[in-house]
Order: sequence, then structure tokens, then C-alpha cells
Amino acid sequence: MLEPIKENWRILLLVVVVLGATVALFAPGFGPEPAPGEDVSEAREGITNLQYGLDLAGGTRIRAPLSGYTATDVEFGGDSPTTVAETVAAELDNASARNVGAVPGESAVEVTEASVSEDQFRRAMDASGYAYGDVRPGVTQETRDETMNVIQGKINEAGLSGGSVQQVQSITGEYFILVEVPGEGRQDVVDLLEERGTVRIDIAYADGNRTAVDEGVLVQENFDEIGTATQSDQGTGSYVPVTVRNTDEDGQSPAYSFQDAVVQRGFPDSYNTRADQCEYANGSLSGERNPCLLLVVNDEVVNSFGMDSGLADSMGDGSWAETGRFRLTTGEFSEAQTISLNLRAGALPADLDISGEGTSSSISASQGENFRTYSLVIGLLSVLAVAGMVFLRYREPRVALPMIVTALAEVYALLGFAALLGYPLELAVIAGFIAVVGTGVDDLVIIADQVMSEGDVSSRTVFDSRFRQAFWVIGAAAATTVIAMSPLMVLSLGDLSGFAIFTILGVLIGVLVTRPAYGDILRRLLTVR
Amino acid sequence: MVAIEVPDVDYTDYTNRQLAAVPLAFLVLALAIIGGWFVVTGAPANLGLEFTGGVELRIADDGDNVEQQIQTAFDREPDSTRAIPGDDVVVVTFQAVEDDPDGLANDLQDQADAAGLTTTAVDQVSPSFASDTARTALFGVALAFLGMSVLVFALFRTFVPSIAVVASAFSDLVIPIAAMNLLGIQMTLGTIAALLMIIGYSVDSDILLNDSVLRRTGAFYESVSRAMRTGVTMTLTSIAAMIVMAVVASLFGIGLLRDIGIILSVGLCADLMNTYLMNVSLLRWHKFEGVAR
Repeated sequence: MLEPIKENWRILLLVVVVLGATVALFAPGFGPEPAPGEDVSEAREGITNLQYGLDLAGGTRIRAPLSGYTATDVEFGGDSPTTVAETVAAELDNASARNVGAVPGESAVEVTEASVSEDQFRRAMDASGYAYGDVRPGVTQETRDETMNVIQGKINEAGLSGGSVQQVQSITGEYFILVEVPGEGRQDVVDLLEERGTVRIDIAYADGNRTAVDEGVLVQENFDEIGTATQSDQGTGSYVPVTVRNTDEDGQSPAYSFQDAVVQRGFPDSYNTRADQCEYANGSLSGERNPCLLLVVNDEVVNSFGMDSGLADSMGDGSWAETGRFRLTTGEFSEAQTISLNLRAGALPADLDISGEGTSSSISASQGENFRTYSLVIGLLSVLAVAGMVFLRYREPRVALPMIVTALAEVYALLGFAALLGYPLELAVIAGFIAVVGTGVDDLVIIADQVMSEGDVSSRTVFDSRFRQAFWVIGAAAATTVIAMSPLMVLSLGDLSGFAIFTILGVLIGVLVTRPAYGDILRRLLTVR
Repeated sequence: MVAIEVPDVDYTDYTNRQLAAVPLAFLVLALAIIGGWFVVTGAPANLGLEFTGGVELRIADDGDNVEQQIQTAFDREPDSTRAIPGDDVVVVTFQAVEDDPDGLANDLQDQADAAGLTTTAVDQVSPSFASDTARTALFGVALAFLGMSVLVFALFRTFVPSIAVVASAFSDLVIPIAAMNLLGIQMTLGTIAALLMIIGYSVDSDILLNDSVLRRTGAFYESVSRAMRTGVTMTLTSIAAMIVMAVVASLFGIGLLRDIGIILSVGLCADLMNTYLMNVSLLRWHKFEGVAR
């Protein structure tokens, strides 16, 4: 009973792999993750679970570094990050504290203003008096992560399903941000990335029974610095630290104007204890009718805040404007993140240097669809060419037919892998598939020739020893292909890593599964007479 | 039905020198072409968009004399214009210029729109990114070649047969590069992939030959002709697949697949020559004279 299984386990393994590939390709549940608002069948492209890359589906890919410079191994000397950033910014003519960041975790100070040159930044660092190791192009890990969050936020907000953003590192150690958006043109994506909304802070106050609003008591330009969302030390809240500018060429500084407006609308009187809250909804105040700060993005109120009593008091006695610092507090951390993001007006923490050092490519959806059909045709014709050659050489369907079927099974198994991994198919991957058919058939030719050399194969032992000999060559050849392809897999060379991954996968499936199975098939056909 | 018969070559008619002369002449010629290219153009091959920087637009060909429109549509003279009949598009390439890389892709796309042309795809690569890519690619090929060499030496553990494989792989890489220069094919990421594939493919038949001669019983000439029957079939099947891929892909205008197809076809032809002329002569020398010494 078990004997046939033991004898044919290689063939059975191939059958199992093919069945597994079928499940991965066609069964629901292995398909692409649907985007919000999209059901599972919509996310699938065509009848299979395969996903297509930009080449074959249309869309835009942008790969660019973030402009800026970072000083490494900076000794902060006990100063707070804000102080360090302000000191360095003061030495730079063309950058404010907004464009300079100090990251204690990485012992780094960075400048994200594109117009600051490396030389200027070095001079500013020297003049600031903080010891530092070196200055490198690029920004800190923290800024990169935050930029990715902002971009992801923008992509989600624009409702672009399947859009992705990731960091990649080049061989020279430089970091790039890679943005891929299916189905969108290049210009639209660049616009989306560079678009800045308008942000301002209004004050809503009770005017009799009505709710009146002072518009634009603070506008975007009034902020010197916008911090990142931070978890509160005590309690559960979160906040975004901001600094309002206290310098102005003509007359009053924004900090003083803001302080005056706050006092005029009665914040110091209304906020005395923790219990005093801002209650604002749908354009009107409720409850105690305390005045509220409103965060307005693109003319839409996105959040309302009250004020801490201590802060309100310092505004009342006029001392606050000297420092101009306050915290926009919220309940949820994610809310603080959104506010920090909005205050930056959707602007990226550092600019993507697309035209300077980036690359972008974009393919229209119809072009992608054409490419999909064409590559299918190319793949089929190549397989046919291989089949034709094999038939011409052996003129024996018993040898040639299993050869072609095995090679096709290999490609099918690879497609199953692609569906299982959710790896998007691209032109380069298709080229890898064709390369796999080529090497696969090569190896099958080696097996067939070896086994049939020196006359007929009558006994199993003869077959097995010849098969083993053939396998040494195949193993050696497979190892060289894997070695030759592996650099491509890890080097950041765009499309080519897909090509390398699938060629290597194909070689592995071939050596471990399909080629032994072909040996078994051939043995049955040649020895059982 | 026509059958492919691998011819039996009577190697005894030729001396080692005679056998090796042909592949060596090709290798020298190829190196001379690449060297000359380097002297004249400053680069060993025609570098494509990915390695020089620039913008490539695909413009839909709606049958309205698009190529003529393209001549007048842009402020700048396109560096190349290539019509792709199978896909009804025209590919227009602009090399990067140092003075205005800024927003070039956008400008060009706007100009195309203004002229009533439909852009179906835009590729933009900045010059500094391109030189970085070129370095990475060169490093990748060198690393792959080195890894292959180490593995081959580890497999055979004798100097002459191993160096024969490495030398033949080297020649298999150099000849297609020279051929690319002559055929006007640009060096792109796709062709780099193809060159790495050649390393993988070319070593197959060399290993087969070495295995047959060194590890199997049988006389030298018998072993060679046995390996040759299998090896030539293998290489011819691959060449057939690659030629079909190159022809169909160029009809459809899929540059990447076309380039990979052409390079692999040339490389595999070079491999036939190198394996069965150069390697055989080296192995014969190793077997009959090298060992006896």
C-alpha cells in the first residue's frame, strides 16, 4: 500500500506543489488586501490572485532622497533639543528654527531647508559651539520616518488604494523614499506630495447668545517651530509643542498679538481649574461657553482646544509672549499626530529632491494592460520555441512531452509563489520566468541525455546511478546561477531585484522539486516496459 | 521532420593553438571595441537613461503623423525618437542637461499636452542618481563574477579546468557588450540582468564539459563529444527561447525584454564558441600535457 507512495514521492511532491500553487492562485483569501471601501473581489485584478506592479497595471513610482544635511555625534552638553536647534538656526541666514531639528536619540542635528548648502551648515555648526563628528547629506531617521507617515497620510487621504511608501538604502548608504501609486499620473502624484494646505488658528468666543469667531489670530507663518506629537508625562493626554514667533519688522510680534487676542476674549478668566473645558461643536459653543482655540485647515475646523489655567494666567500677566511656547493638547496620541501634521500644513518635514537626485516613472493604465497581454504572449511563444527545439532534438514524445510539462509546472509553481507572497508581477519578473524556463529545460536535457546515454536503461540501479551523476552537474549549475543572481537581490537596483528573486526561486523549485520529479517520470517511462 | 543533429567535430585535426585562436581573436576584438568606445565616448558602452539621467516619454501614436508633431512640440531637440509599431506608441528620449534638470519631466509633459499629444508613460532619472546606479550595477556584476569564480574553483579544485570556466565566462560577458555597442543597444538595468544571466547560463555548459572530461570514465574525445551532444542542445534551446522573446518583445515595444533577449542570444552564441573551442583546447592541454609535466 505504501510502496507506490514511497516509490513515486518525487512525482507526488510535484503534484502537491502544483495543487498548492492552484490554491494560492485561485482560492479566495489569498488575494490582495482590499483597500478601505473596496470589497475583496474589487481588489482582485482578473480571475487570479496575482497582483501586478506598476509596469503591468499602470501608475507612478517616485524614488528620491530627502534634501538636507545632518551633523552626527553632536555633543548637546546638557542643552535641550529646542535650545540646540535654535542656537544652530540663529547661525543660518536662510533657515529658521522650523528647518533645524535636534534629535538627542541619534545625537544628531539636521537642517531640512533645501537652500542651505553643506558648507553653510558646517559653518553654522562650528559657530554654534557644539562639538560634532561629521556632516553627511540626508536627514535623520526620525525625520525620514515622519516624512513617510506624512506621505502615507496624504495617500490615504486622497483615497488612492494600493499606494505605498517605503525607505530604501542605496549601496553608498544614502536613503531614498520610494513612493508607488497605482493608477495615477506622474504630475498628480508630484502635486499631491508637494501640495500645502492652509492652516490657521481662530478663537471662538461667546458673543451674547451667538458664537463669534476671530479668524486667523495665528497663521502658518507665525509659527517658529512645530514639534512632533508627544505623549504627556502625566496623565493620558498628548500634545504638540509649538513656538510662536516673537520678532517682527513692523510693530507687534505675532506672539504679542496672539497674547492680546487671547486676553481680550477672556481665556484667563474662563480657564481656572482642570474642570474648565472647551466645548465646541458645529460652529457653536455649548456648556460653560468658554472661549476656544480652533484649528482650521483649508477653511475647515478640524479641532478645538481649551487652555491650561497656568498658560492662560501667564498670558494674562503678559509674560507668555517672551517665550511664545505652548502646547496644543489632545486626548488621543493619534489626534496629536494629525494636528502636528496639519500644522505643518501637509508639508513634508523635509523636501523630496525629485528633480535633483530622484527618479520617477509613470505608466498609464491602458499601457500597463497592454504590457500584461504582451508579456503573456511573449512568455507563451518562448515556451513554444523551447518545446519545438526539444521535439526536434529527441523526436520522442515520451521524453520531450514530460520535459515541457515539467517546465510549465515550474512556472506555474512560481506564479503560485508570487500570489502567495503578494509579490507584484512586473516586466522584470516576467523576464525572470522566461529565464527559469530556459534553465529548467537545460537541466532536463542534461538528465535525459545522461540517463539515455550508453544504450537503453533496463534496470533501476543503472537509472539511479546515471541520474545521480546528472544531478551533480545540475546542482553545480544551479549554485552558480544562485550566486550570480544574489547580488541583484540585495542591491538597490529597482526592478531588478524582482528578476533576481524569481530566477533564484525558480532555480530552487527546479532543483528541489521539478527536476527530481522529471527523473522519476522518465524512469517509469523508460524502465517499465 | 527535420532533426537537430549535433555534429561530431574531429578535434584531432586541429592543434590547441588553432582551436584557441578563434575565440581569443574574438575576445581581443571585443576588448578593442570596448576600449575604443571608452576612448571615444568616455564610457565603455552606450549608457541608457538609467545610467546617464534624462527623461523618456511614451507618446500614443493615433496615426496622425505623430513623429512630425514631436519634432515641433518640444523646446528641446529630442535625443532620440523611436516608433514602436506593435504598440502604437513613439518613445522620445531626452538626455539630462546640467543647467536645467529642474522640472524637466513636467515641462516636457506639459509641452506634449499642449501640442495635443497623449503621453502614456514618463520616466525621469536625475544625473547624480544615475551615476550612483551605474556604480551599483558595476559592483553587482563584479560581485556576481567573483562569487561564480570562487564557486567554480571550489567545485573542481584544479587550476586549469577552473580557469577555463572563468575565462570562458569572462569572454561570454565581454563579447555581448561589444556587440551591444555595434548594434546600438543601450546599457540599461535590463541588460545588466541579462549579463548576470549569461554568467549563470554559460557556466552550465562549461561545468557539463569539465564534469564529463574530469569526473567520468572514458577517453577524452569520447567525453567531449558526449558533453557536446547535451551542451549544444541546451544552448540551442535557450537561444531559441531568447530569439523568440527578443523578436516578439521588439514588435510590442517592451524594451526590457527585447534587450534581455538580444544580449542572451549573443552571449549564448559566444558561449558555444568559447566552450567548444577554447575550453576544449585548455582541457586537452591539461589532460595530455599539463598533467604529464
